[in-house]
Amino acid sequence: MANQVTLTIDDLTVTVPEGTLVVDAARKAGIDIPVFCYHPKMEPVGMCRMCLVQVGRPMVDRATGQPVLDADGQPKIQFSPKLETSCTIPVSEGMVIRTNTPEVLRAHRDIIEFLLTSHPLDCPICDKGGECPLQDLTRAYGPGQSRFLLDDKMRLAKHVPLGELIYLDRERCILCARCIRFQDEIVDEPVLSFYHRGRSMQIVTYSDPPFDSYFSGNTTDICPVGALTTADFRFAARPWELKNNASICTQCPVGCNTTLNTRREVKSGGKWVVKRVMPRQNELVNEIWICDKGRFGYHYAESGERILSPHVRKEQGLVPVSWDEALDLVEQRLRQAGAGTVTLAGGRLANEDLFNLAQVTDHLGGRKLLHTQVGGGEYVQRYGLGKGSNLGELGKGDAILVIASDLQEEAPVWWLRVKRAADRGAALMVLNPRPTRLDPYARFIHHYRYGEELEALGRLAAGEGELAEAAEALRSAENLVIFYGSEGLGLAETTALAREAAGLLAGSGRAGKVNSGLIGVWQQNNTLGAYDMGFRPEADLAGALSGSGLAWIAAADPAGDHPALEAALKQAGFLVVQDLFMTRTAQMADVVLPAQAFTEREGTFTSGERRVQRFYPAVAAPPGPLADFSIAARVGLRVGIELEGASAATVMLRIAASVPAYAGLDYALISEVSEQWPIIGREDRYYGGTGYDNHQGLGVQLQPDAVTDPDGEVSIAMAAPAPLQVPEGAVYLAPVTRLYDQGLTLKPSMKIVGQRMARREVWLNPETAARLGFGAASLVTLEGEGWTASGVEIRVDEQLPPDVLLAPRSVGIPATGPEAVRLRPLVTEPEA
Amino acid sequence: MSDQVYLLLRHREIPDLDRLEVYRQNEGFQGFEKALQMKPADVVQQVKDSGLRGRGGAGFPTGLKWSFLPNNLWPHYVVANADESEPGTFKDREILERNPLQFLEGLMIACYAVQANTGYIYLRGEFWQIAAWLDEKIAELEQAGLLGDRILGTDYSLRLYTHLGAGAYICGEETALLESLEGKLGQPRLRPPFPAVEGLYGKPTVINNVETLSNLPVILGKGNSFYRQYGTDRSPGTKIFCLSGRVNRPGNYELPLGRTFRELIYEHGGGILEDGKIKAIMSAGASSTLIVADEKALDTPMTYEMTDALGAPLGSASVIILDETVDMKWLVHKTVSFFRHESCGKCTPCREGTYWMNHITRRLNSGQPNPEDVELLVDVAREIQGKCLCALGEFSTMAVLSGIEKFRSDFNGS
Amino acid sequence: MLVRGLLTTLKAFLTEKTVTVQYPEQKRMVRTRFRGRHVLRRYEDTGLERCIGCSLCEAACPADAIFVEASENSDEERYSPGERYASTYEINMLRCIFCGYCEDACPTEAIVLSDNYELSFHDRASAIYTKEMLLEPVPPGGKPTPQRTPPGVYTRAIPEMSDPTD
Repeated sequence: MANQVTLTIDDLTVTVPEGTLVVDAARKAGIDIPVFCYHPKMEPVGMCRMCLVQVGRPMVDRATGQPVLDADGQPKIQFSPKLETSCTIPVSEGMVIRTNTPEVLRAHRDIIEFLLTSHPLDCPICDKGGECPLQDLTRAYGPGQSRFLLDDKMRLAKHVPLGELIYLDRERCILCARCIRFQDEIVDEPVLSFYHRGRSMQIVTYSDPPFDSYFSGNTTDICPVGALTTADFRFAARPWELKNNASICTQCPVGCNTTLNTRREVKSGGKWVVKRVMPRQNELVNEIWICDKGRFGYHYAESGERILSPHVRKEQGLVPVSWDEALDLVEQRLRQAGAGTVTLAGGRLANEDLFNLAQVTDHLGGRKLLHTQVGGGEYVQRYGLGKGSNLGELGKGDAILVIASDLQEEAPVWWLRVKRAADRGAALMVLNPRPTRLDPYARFIHHYRYGEELEALGRLAAGEGELAEAAEALRSAENLVIFYGSEGLGLAETTALAREAAGLLAGSGRAGKVNSGLIGVWQQNNTLGAYDMGFRPEADLAGALSGSGLAWIAAADPAGDHPALEAALKQAGFLVVQDLFMTRTAQMADVVLPAQAFTEREGTFTSGERRVQRFYPAVAAPPGPLADFSIAARVGLRVGIELEGASAATVMLRIAASVPAYAGLDYALISEVSEQWPIIGREDRYYGGTGYDNHQGLGVQLQPDAVTDPDGEVSIAMAAPAPLQVPEGAVYLAPVTRLYDQGLTLKPSMKIVGQRMARREVWLNPETAARLGFGAASLVTLEGEGWTASGVEIRVDEQLPPDVLLAPRSVGIPATGPEAVRLRPLVTEPEA
Repeated sequence: MSDQVYLLLRHREIPDLDRLEVYRQNEGFQGFEKALQMKPADVVQQVKDSGLRGRGGAGFPTGLKWSFLPNNLWPHYVVANADESEPGTFKDREILERNPLQFLEGLMIACYAVQANTGYIYLRGEFWQIAAWLDEKIAELEQAGLLGDRILGTDYSLRLYTHLGAGAYICGEETALLESLEGKLGQPRLRPPFPAVEGLYGKPTVINNVETLSNLPVILGKGNSFYRQYGTDRSPGTKIFCLSGRVNRPGNYELPLGRTFRELIYEHGGGILEDGKIKAIMSAGASSTLIVADEKALDTPMTYEMTDALGAPLGSASVIILDETVDMKWLVHKTVSFFRHESCGKCTPCREGTYWMNHITRRLNSGQPNPEDVELLVDVAREIQGKCLCALGEFSTMAVLSGIEKFRSDFNGS
Repeated sequence: MLVRGLLTTLKAFLTEKTVTVQYPEQKRMVRTRFRGRHVLRRYEDTGLERCIGCSLCEAACPADAIFVEASENSDEERYSPGERYASTYEINMLRCIFCGYCEDACPTEAIVLSDNYELSFHDRASAIYTKEMLLEPVPPGGKPTPQRTPPGVYTRAIPEMSDPTD
C-alpha cells in the first residue's frame, strides 16, 4: 500500500498515493487542468506547456531542516516565481496548487493563442471537429480574436497518407508527440518520428509499408487535433451526428470493448449504418485501445453480399422462399434424422445462439460439434484465469509463458497486454518455432522445431538444459499465465498442447488462482463460449458430417475450408446452413437460413479470458434475417422443444439456469460498470482521447472449474497427433496466422486493409526453397492431403528455420494442421 | 594599456604549445599529476574553494556542480561542451585549435575529480576538423600513457571520445546535448532530474564548457591563491572575452574578470570603427539583454555579479558592440531570426513565439512598420517568458524586450 | 354614433389609397433580409460550389431540417475548393422554420435564404429539397460542377475573407 500524500488544490484537500502527478491528483479531485501532450497512459514530457499551474511548497529552513511557520502556526508556503507544468510534478506533502488564478488563466490563454497561430482554419472540413480537444480548450481558455496575420501562417502538406489507413495533416499538428510516444512507449513500434526542427517540425513515418503498426488507429484517438485521422472515417460524419452503441469486437478472442457509431446513410437508402468503430474503455480487457483489424474490419456486417431471405433447393437450384416454407422443410427432415443430426457451430456465434442450438440438438439426440482448428477448451474451462483476473495487473514477480503463438498476429491486444506486463517486470517466456514480435520483451526465448512443441514444453517443465533458468522463474513466480496458440498446429496438436500446459499449471499449484491460468488463443471470438454451451470439436469431422442424417451448419464454412469436408457434406443426408453469406457450404445446402450480424442484435460473447460481455444492437436488421438464437428457437418449437427466441436476455437467464459456470448471470450483472482510471469522459476528451467511456458493462469473468469443481477432471476422447513423416521431395507445411487474412469477416473490408492482407503465398527459408527447386516469387501449385492450391507465390525469409513451409490461414490454402506437401511449378502454357 | 593575462591562451606566448613535448616542458600536465595524488573529493573541494564559475554562459560554481553527483550510482560521466554556437562566441575554438592539451588536461582533471572513467567531447557539427585534430591529440596522450588504463602508475583509467553534433544551437543546452550524444533527437529534457543525478544514459553526469575545463590545470597546477589573485572575489580568474561588432580589433582577449568594458572596447578593441559613437553592448551574444553604452555601463567591471548593477548578465562574455549606425530594429530582427531558426520546437511558446516574433520583426524592417506591431512584439515576447521548457525560449525575448525598452526611438518608424 | 362611423368609412373609400395587393399579378417587394427558399451558392468566378459539406448548418438548425453527407474532392472531379464537398444535401422544407441560423453558421456563405417564398407541396416526400434543387445555376464565367481542375490550385476550403466583419 503506497504512502498517501495530502495536498491542497484550489482550496480542496486531496489525498492521493505517493508518486501521483499533480494533474492526475487534480483530475481525481474533479478539477480539470487542461493538457495536450500529457496522456495518463504515457510518461509525461511537459512539452505543450498547457498544464501550467501555480505551485507552492511548504518552506523549509535550510539550516535546521524544520518547516517555517507563519503567524497562525501553519506551514509557510513558498510559491515558485514561475508557473510549473502540473503533468511533470509528482505530489508532495503540503503542496498548494492553484489552477485558476489570473496568471494561470492567462498562461492557458497564451498557449492556446500560440497553438492557434499556425493552426489552419480547418474546423468545418476537419473530421475531428466536434470531438476536438483544441476546439474545446479554445472555447474554455482561448482568446476570441487572432492577432496573427493569415499570410504568415506556416503552410505545410495536408492530407499526407501515412500508409493507406491513416492520414496526416501537417498543418493541424500541434507537435504534442502523443502519437510518437504511443508508438515508442506503449506499442514499441517506433515507426513515427519528428523531422526538421522548430516550427518546421513534422511527423514522418520511416517504416515500409508506411505506419507499419497494427495499432495505428489508436493514434487517431489520442491525437488532440485532427492531424491524424483514419481513411475509413474520412468525411463520413460529424461526431455529434453519430449515435453510440456498445459492442464487442468479433475478430479475435480478446473481446475488445468497442463503440459502434451509427448514422443514417443515403447510399444505403436511408438505413442506419455503422460509420466507425471506436474503443470503449475496459481496463480489464483492452484498456482504451483496439487493433486496426477490429477498427477497420467491421464492414462485413453491412456487406451487400448478405443473404436476406431463406432459400430452399429446388430443381433450378436455391430459390428464395418464406421462413415458413424453409422451416417446414427443416422440421420435416429433422424429425426424420433425429439422432442422426449433427450440428456444427462456429465460434462467431453468440452464447445465446449456441445455447439454443445445443438445446435443439440435445432434444433430438444429435451431436454438437464445434468447428475450430484450435482445441483444448476443456482445459481452459478447468484451468483458466481465476475470477477477478486482470492482465493489466501482471508485473514484477509474475511469469507469462507464450507457446506456439505469434501473439501479435493472432490477438494483437493480448500481445500488447503481455508486452506491457513485461515492461512492468513480468518474466516473459516465449516458446515458438520462429522469431516473433514478442521476442524483444522476453526474458527467455526458446525456438523449438516445428512439430516438437510438446517436447519443448516438457523440457521447460523439467527444467532441462538451457531451460533451467526459465523453469526456475516459472516456479518462483507469484502468478503464471500461459497462452497457447496454433503456430503450425491443428486441432489435435493444440489439444495435446493444452493438456500439457494445463498440467504445468495444475502441477504448479496455481490452478484457479486470480491472475494465473490458461488462455487459448482461439481463431474466432467466441470459441470458448461454444465450449461452455457444450460444443466440442471432432477430429474426424469429415466422417461425422458424411455419416449424418442431417448436417446443421451455423456460422461455419467447412466446404470452403477443405475439399475433404466439401466431399463429406455431399454425403450428408440433408444440409441446413444458417449464415450471413452464401458461403461455399451454403451454396451446397438444401436449406439456407439468413442470420443477423452482431451489429443488428444483442447477445453475449465469452472472451478467451472467460469474461462474458454484452454486445448491443447498433443498426436495424434488414427484413428477412433473424438472430441465430431466434432461428434455433423456431426450429426447436417445430421439433417439440420450447426455447426463447425473442429476448436474448431471457436466453441468458436460461443459460444461467443450465450451465453451471454461468450460474447467477443476467444481463443486468453483465452490464454493471464501475469507475475506471484514467477517467475517460467525452466532455473532456483532451485528457484520455476520444475513446468512449463505458456505461454499458464491464462484463463478468467466470470462475474456472478448478475452483467450482475441484475434484473434477478433463477427459477428451481425441487421439494424440501422430508425428508427421515427410517423404522425400515433400516439405513440412506449418499453418500460421496472419492478422489481415482473406477470411469471410475481413474480406469485405478489402478497400481499407486490402494492401496489407496476406496473399496467396507461402514462406520458406531460401535454402529450403532452393532445395525444392524454386526461388523467390516463383508460382507453384501445392499438393497436400486431399487438396491442391494453385497460383501460390513463394516468398523467402532468412530468419525462418529450414525444412518448413509456412502457409497463412484463410488465403485459400486448405491445410488445417501440419502436413507434408509437394510443390509443383505452376504450368502457365497449355500443354502441347 | 593593461596587458592580457594568458592563463588559457598560453599559445600566444608559447609557440607550438599544441605539441606534447612543448606542452610538457611548459608545466604541462602538472595539474593532472597533482590531482592524481589527491583524493577525488579533495580535488572537488579545491575547485570549489577556487571559486571557478562555469564559462559557458550560466556562471554556475563548477565545484558545487561537481559535488551534486551521488556516490551510489555508477558510472559517472564528464562531457565537455564544445558546441560553441552562441553568436559572437569563438573562444573555445581558439583553445581547441591552439591549446588543445590544456583543455584535455582540464577534462582529465574533471574526470578524475568525479571519478569518471569515460569522458566525451561534444563538438558542434561544423568543428569536424577540430574533432579530427582532437582525436590525434587523444591518441598521442594514450601513447604517452596519460590516457588509457592505469594512468601514470595509478589505479585510475580514463578514455576520452569526441562526438560531432549536426548543426543545432540547441544542442549546446546541456540536456539537449545529452540527448544528441545518446543518438536521439536533440531536444532538451525535463529538469528535474538534473544531469548531475540523471544524465547521460541515466547516470550522473557533469557537463562543463571547454573554457571552464581549461582553467583546471592552472588551478590544480598553480594552486588556488595563484588563481585567485586574478579577477574579483565572486568571479575569480581570467575570462576570454570575445569582442566583435563595430570595433576596430575584434577577437579574443583574455583578461582578469573585473576589468571594465571601457578597457576591453577601447584599449584592446581599438575603439569603435570609423570613430563612431558607441550605442549598446551585448555581453552575452544573441541571448543578451541590451546594455545602453553610457558612461556608467562602460565603467562597470565585467564580472558575473555585474547583473546586479547593470541588469544584464555576463553570459559567455561574447561582447558584441553596437554603434549609432546600427538600427535596433535590424538588430532585434537578427537575434529573433536566429532563435526562430534554432528553436528545437519541443515546447509551444518558444516554437510558435519565435516564429511569430520573426514575422513581426520582418514586418518592422520591411519599410512600412506598423506602430501596433511594436506593441504586439512586446506582448508576444512577454507571453513567451516564464513558460518555456528551456532557456532558449526565455533568452530569445531578452534582446527584444530590452531593445524596445531602451531604444524605443529606433522602433517608432523610419 | 352610427353616422360618424359610416362617414369615416365613406371618407376612406373616397380618399385613401387601397393597400390591397393584387397577388399574383402584383407581388410585393420583399425586404432586404427576407428569409425565403434556400439556395446553395457557387463562386462567381469559377462556378465551383461554395458548400464544403461541413454540416455546421445541420448542427445549427433548431428544427433538424438539414441532412448533409460529405465526400472527398479530387482534381479530376472537383465540386468545391478544398478537400471536402457535400455529396448529399437535403433540407426538409416542412421542418424548416426559416430562421436563418444555417445561413449564419455557414463558413463559406454557401447556404443562403433567398427571396422566394412561393413554396408548396402535395406530399411530404416532395418537401425534401435535394442538392440538385437547391444548387443555384452556374453563374456566367463559371463552369458546371464537377470540374477538372489543375492540381495545387484549389487547395483551401475556407476563402480568405478580405473583410471578416462582412
